[in-house]
Amino acid sequence: MDIIVKKIIAEVKKGNQQAFAELMDLYKDKVYHIAYRMLGNVHEAQDVAQEAFLRAYTNIDSYDINRKFSTWLFRIATNLAIDRIRKKKPDFHLEDQVAGTEDLTYYSQISADVDLPEDQVVQLEMQEWIQQEIMELPPKYRAAIILKYLEDLSLKEISEILNLPVATVKTRIHRGREALRKRLRD
Amino acid sequence: MACSQENQKHIYKYLDEEMTLLEKKQFEAHIMKCDECHAQLRELRKTVAIIQSASHFEAPKGFTDNVMKQLPKQSKSQTWKNFMRKHPFILAAATFFLIFAVSLSAAFSDDDKEIVVKGEGQFIVDETRGVVIIPEGESISGDLIVRNGDIEIAGEVTGNITVINGEYLLASAEQVSGEIEEINQFMDWLWFQTKSFFSEVVNFADDSESDNHSD
Repeated sequence: MDIIVKKIIAEVKKGNQQAFAELMDLYKDKVYHIAYRMLGNVHEAQDVAQEAFLRAYTNIDSYDINRKFSTWLFRIATNLAIDRIRKKKPDFHLEDQVAGTEDLTYYSQISADVDLPEDQVVQLEMQEWIQQEIMELPPKYRAAIILKYLEDLSLKEISEILNLPVATVKTRIHRGREALRKRLRD
Repeated sequence: MACSQENQKHIYKYLDEEMTLLEKKQFEAHIMKCDECHAQLRELRKTVAIIQSASHFEAPKGFTDNVMKQLPKQSKSQTWKNFMRKHPFILAAATFFLIFAVSLSAAFSDDDKEIVVKGEGQFIVDETRGVVIIPEGESISGDLIVRNGDIEIAGEVTGNITVINGEYLLASAEQVSGEIEEINQFMDWLWFQTKSFFSEVVNFADDSESDNHSD
C-alpha cells in the first residue's frame, strides 16, 4: 500500500493530474468521513473534503514523501474543518439546528428508498444520536475523539495530525471521553 | 466518578492499555471492591463502544470528478514538460538536428571562398566569379572534380564531371562524354556528413549515458 501510494505521489509531483485522481479514490472516504464527523453536515463535509484535496494538490511539493501521506492529508482536512467550525461559531446554535435537519433528510432519504424494518430504523436513530453527541463536544476534543475512536489512529499519528504533543492528545481524548460519558449516562 | 484522583488515572491507564501486568491485576482487584470505580469504567467502556459503532460514510458519488474539475489547469509549459518527459527522444532528436543543421551550414559557408579543382588538363580558375572555365579548344581527359565553384565548359571533357557545392554551365552536353554529377554528389556529401555526424552523436550519447550511470 505504502509503496503504491509513494509511486502515485511521485507521479502527482511530476504534474500528472490523472495520478491525483487515483490518490483521491484511495483517501476520499476517510477524508469525507472525518469532515462529516467534525461538522455533522453532509454539504459542509463535502465542501471541506474537496477543499482538503485541492489544497493537497496545490501544496503537494511541500509534502515530504518519507512521511505518511494520510497523516499529512488528514491534517489539512482537520484544520479546514476546525477553521469552518470557528467561523460559524457566532451563529453556532442556528447552524447546528440546520445541520441537524439536513441530517434528518439525509437519513430519511435512505429510509424513503426502502421500507426499513423496525431495528434498522432504531439503528438509524442511534447513528443520528451518536453524531449529535459528537457535535456537542468542543471542537478540540471532537477532533481527538474522532481520530482515535472512529479512525482508529495511534496517539502518535493523532499528535502529528493535530500538531500537538502526545500528552495533550491523551488529555483531550480523556476529557472528550469523559464529557461523552456524562452525556450518555443522562 | 472514581473513588480517588489516583484511581481516576488508573481507569484511564487501564482503558488506554498502558498498564503493566502487575498494575492491571492490582487495579482489577480494586474494581471488584469499589462500586464507584467499577461504574465509571463500565460507563466509559460503553461510551467508547457507542462511539465506535458510528457507521462509516463514503464520499458522495462524483466526488473525485468534482475535485478534478477544480484542479488548476496545467500551464502550457507544464503540459509541454509532461510531453517531453514522456518522449525524451524527441527532445534529443530535435537538439541534435539543430546542432547538425548549424554545423552543416557552417561547413558550407566556411569553404565558400576556396575553389578546389581536381583533374588533369588546361583550365582557368576565375576566383572573382568563382568559376572554373574550360576554354574552347581545350580538352580534359579523365575525371574532373570541382568543389565550391561553378564550372563553365566551352571545351571538351572526356571523363565524368563532379561539381560539389556549385553548378555547371555548358553550351551543349555533347562536349562532355562522361556523366555530370551535381546533385547526386551533393546528396552523397550530405549523406556522408550525416553519417559522420550521427556516429559522433551516438558516441556522445553513450558518454552521457555512462555519466548518468556513474552518478
